[in-house]
Amino acid sequence: MSIESQDQTRGDSTPFFSDTQPASLSCNEAASLCMKAARGADMSWGMAEEAGFAAAWLVSHGIDGPSHLRAHLERVDGRDWADLCPTVTPDGWHNANGQPACPIILGATMCDYAALPEGPKTGTTIALGPVSAPILLVPFLAELAQSNALAFKLAWDGGAICIDIDETWRETALASVGVPQLSLTLSAKAAESHKPFAGSTPNAQTTAATIAALNTFAKRTTVPATEASRASAGSTLSDND
Amino acid sequence: MSVNTSSLALETARYMRPASEVMHLARMGSSHPTRLSFLRVLLRRLASSEWQIDRPLWNVDATGVGHGVYRVKSAERTYSLVAFAHDLPPEMRSDRVIATAWDATFTLFDGDPTDEDIARLAENVPVQEAGRISPSELTLARANRSVRLFEHVVTALSQGRQPDVAEIAAVGYLMRTTAVYGSGKFGASDRADIAERPELAAPFQVEMLTVWLIRAFTVDIVEHIAAAKGGDTAVKLDRDIRRSLGVGNSTGLGMAPFIVRHPVLLNNWMMAREEALARVRAQPTAQPLAISDLNAALAAAVTNAEVWHSEHPVQVRKLHDLRRDLALLSATLNTWDWNAAHPWDALWIWGTQTLTFEGQEALLSLVLEPHGALVDDLADHMGADEAASFRINGAMPVVELRRILETDYAWALAIDFTTPENVARFWYVSEEKLEPRLGERATEDGATLEQPLCIARLISELHATARSFDGTQSVAALMLAHPEHRFAVRRVQIKKHHPYAEVQDNLIAADMLPIDLLRCKLAFFGASQFDPRSDRWVRINLFAGAPFPDDIKAGGAT
Repeated sequence: MSIESQDQTRGDSTPFFSDTQPASLSCNEAASLCMKAARGADMSWGMAEEAGFAAAWLVSHGIDGPSHLRAHLERVDGRDWADLCPTVTPDGWHNANGQPACPIILGATMCDYAALPEGPKTGTTIALGPVSAPILLVPFLAELAQSNALAFKLAWDGGAICIDIDETWRETALASVGVPQLSLTLSAKAAESHKPFAGSTPNAQTTAATIAALNTFAKRTTVPATEASRASAGSTLSDND
Repeated sequence: MSVNTSSLALETARYMRPASEVMHLARMGSSHPTRLSFLRVLLRRLASSEWQIDRPLWNVDATGVGHGVYRVKSAERTYSLVAFAHDLPPEMRSDRVIATAWDATFTLFDGDPTDEDIARLAENVPVQEAGRISPSELTLARANRSVRLFEHVVTALSQGRQPDVAEIAAVGYLMRTTAVYGSGKFGASDRADIAERPELAAPFQVEMLTVWLIRAFTVDIVEHIAAAKGGDTAVKLDRDIRRSLGVGNSTGLGMAPFIVRHPVLLNNWMMAREEALARVRAQPTAQPLAISDLNAALAAAVTNAEVWHSEHPVQVRKLHDLRRDLALLSATLNTWDWNAAHPWDALWIWGTQTLTFEGQEALLSLVLEPHGALVDDLADHMGADEAASFRINGAMPVVELRRILETDYAWALAIDFTTPENVARFWYVSEEKLEPRLGERATEDGATLEQPLCIARLISELHATARSFDGTQSVAALMLAHPEHRFAVRRVQIKKHHPYAEVQDNLIAADMLPIDLLRCKLAFFGASQFDPRSDRWVRINLFAGAPFPDDIKAGGAT
C-alpha cells in the first residue's frame, strides 16, 4: 500500500492512495465515504445512509462494495427518483419507467415493506426486473433473511444465488451478481432463525481510483471556503501559550 | 443496549426527570462530569482489575525527541500507547485540525508492538491525517505543549526545585491533545470489532485510555528534558503536584454534531445519568458515610470552581453562578435535616428551587458521588448498538407516525421556521478543510448544501408532508412517495423507544451556542474546567486529580 503525501490539513479521514495497488478502508470509513458520495449523487440523506450501510456491509464480508457503488452512481448520476425507484405492485417491483432500479432504493424499500402484504415473505416470488449493480441488493436481503428468518433466492436468466444461514453465497457472489445489471426474480422461503455470521472475513480492499471517484461525488456536499468561514472556525485566542 | 424504563423499579421511575426538562441546550450546556463519565469508568476498571502498567520502551534523546511505549496488560489483553516526541518550532503550533505538525503524536496499539510495527508507525503516526494506520491500532492522537507551563516546569525541575503551584493551577496541564481519533478513522480498528471486549464496552474507553497514558507521557517527557538539562541537579516532579495535572484538550465545532448524529448513544448516556439521579432521590434515608462523602465531594467541587477560569463572557457568568450556588449549598448542608424522609430527594428539590442550572447540574454530580454501589452498574448501559435501530418500521401507519410527531416532537412543531431568527444559521462541511462549520444564512453562500443537523426543522417538514398523506397508508408507502423524509422518519422511530434521543431546541437559531453541545459531550467524557475560547471552540482538562499508573498500583484509584 502506498500513500501519497498530500494536504493533511483536511479534517477528514479520507485516505490518499495514489497508485493501482489495493487500498484498505475500515468499515466506518467505507460507510462514511459512500454515504457522502451517495448524497453528492443526489440521494436523500436517509437513502444515502442506506448506501453507506450496504457498501460497508459488503466490505466487512470481503467484497469491494465502494467500487460497486461508485460504478452504480456513475451510471445513474443525474437520473430522477422516478427513474430509480421500484413501483410496488402485487405483480412485481419493476421501475415504472422501464429503467433499471437502484439497488439501494430497492433494498431499503424491500426492508420497509418486509412486514406488509406486498413485502417478500415465505412462498412469495417477486419479479424485480432489471437492477443496477445487483450485488448492492445483497446486504439488505441478508439483513432481512436474518431478522425475519427467511431464505432468499435471487434468480436471473442463467443463474441464481441463495442468501440464507449458510453464507456460502459469498464465494460465488462476486462472479455472478457483481455485474453492472441483471434482470432479477426474488423468491423467499422460511428458514431457521439465526445470528449474523461471526466469521473473521478480512475487510475487502478497494482502489485508489474508487476512493477518488467517490470523493468527487462527496465534494458536491461541501461548501467552498470564504474569509468569513475561515475566520469563525477556530479559537479567537492564540494557541501558542 | 438501552436502559428500558419498564425495567426500572416503579419507585425509581417516579423520580426520573423527563426529557422535556433535561434535553435543552441551556441545561445541557451546564453539564458537569459525574462518576458515570467515561474516564471515571476507565479508572474504576483499571483499579479493580488485574491490569499491569509499565513503560517497556523509552528511546528519547536529550532534546526530548524520540519515542516510548506505555503498556497496559491483563491476563487476556495488552494495549500499548506508542508515543512519538517531536521538536516543534513555535510558529507551527496550532490546535486547529488544520495544523500539520505537533509536539507529540500517539497511537494505541492492540497488543505488544514489534520493532517492525514501531517502524511502520513512525512513518505514519507523526504525520497524522497524511498517514495510515491499520486494524492493529485503536486510536490516533496528537498533543501540543502548553508552552508557558512546559517551559516553567522543565526549568524548575532542571534547577532542582519544584514548579510554582500557582503556575500549575493557572494552566492545569503540560500538554493538550488537539485530536483523539478512534472508531476506524485513518484505517484503525472499527468500533464493532472491539465493542464486545468487556473493558471496551463503555463508550470511548480506548480514547480515554489513550489520553490517560498520554498524561503519564507528558510528565515523563518534562522530567526527561529537565534531567538532560540539569544533570545531577535535576529533580522529579513532586507527586502531589503531578497528581493535580491533567491533559488539556482543545476542540471545536467538529465535535458538536456528534451527539446530534448519534441519537441512541445520546439517549443511553442521558438515561443512565438520569436513572442514577432517580435512584439516589428514591433513597428513603441517608447513610452517615454517604453524607460525609457528599461533603468531601462538595469541598473538591468548591476548589475546582476556584481554579476554573475563562475569559469567555458566557462562561464568566456561569462560573459566577456556580461559585455562588456551591457556597449556598455549603451553607445549606451545614443545617440540613438528614433525618427527614427521603432526604436526598428533599435536597434535590431544594436545589431545583434555589440554584441556577449550573448549580443544579453540579448538585446532580455531587449526589451521585457517594453512591457508587447504587449507580455504577449503569455505566454498562451507556454503549449503543446503533445498527439495531437503523431499520425503518415501514409497517407503521402514517397516522401513528403523525401521533408521535405531535406528542414527542411538539417542541419542534412549536418553532416557527418562517422567521429569520429561527433559520439564522446553517451547518455545512467546508470543502477546503472538510470540517463542520456554522454559517449565517443571510450573508453566507452554501445554505443549499446544509447538513441535516437541525432536527426540529426536518421534523417540521416531515409533519407538513405526513399531515397531507393518507393516514391509513404505511410509512413504507410514505417513504416511496417522499424519500426526502427518510432521515427524519428514522429519527422519529428511534425517538419512540429512546426518550432522551433528541436535543429539544432549534439548532439553527440565531442565539444557539454550539459550546452548549460541546459541554454536554465533554462532561460525559469526564472533562473538567470547560473554557470556551469562542462560542464554538473550547479547552478542557481531562484526568486532573486522577491517579497515575504507579498510583493505581499503590491502590490510590478513585
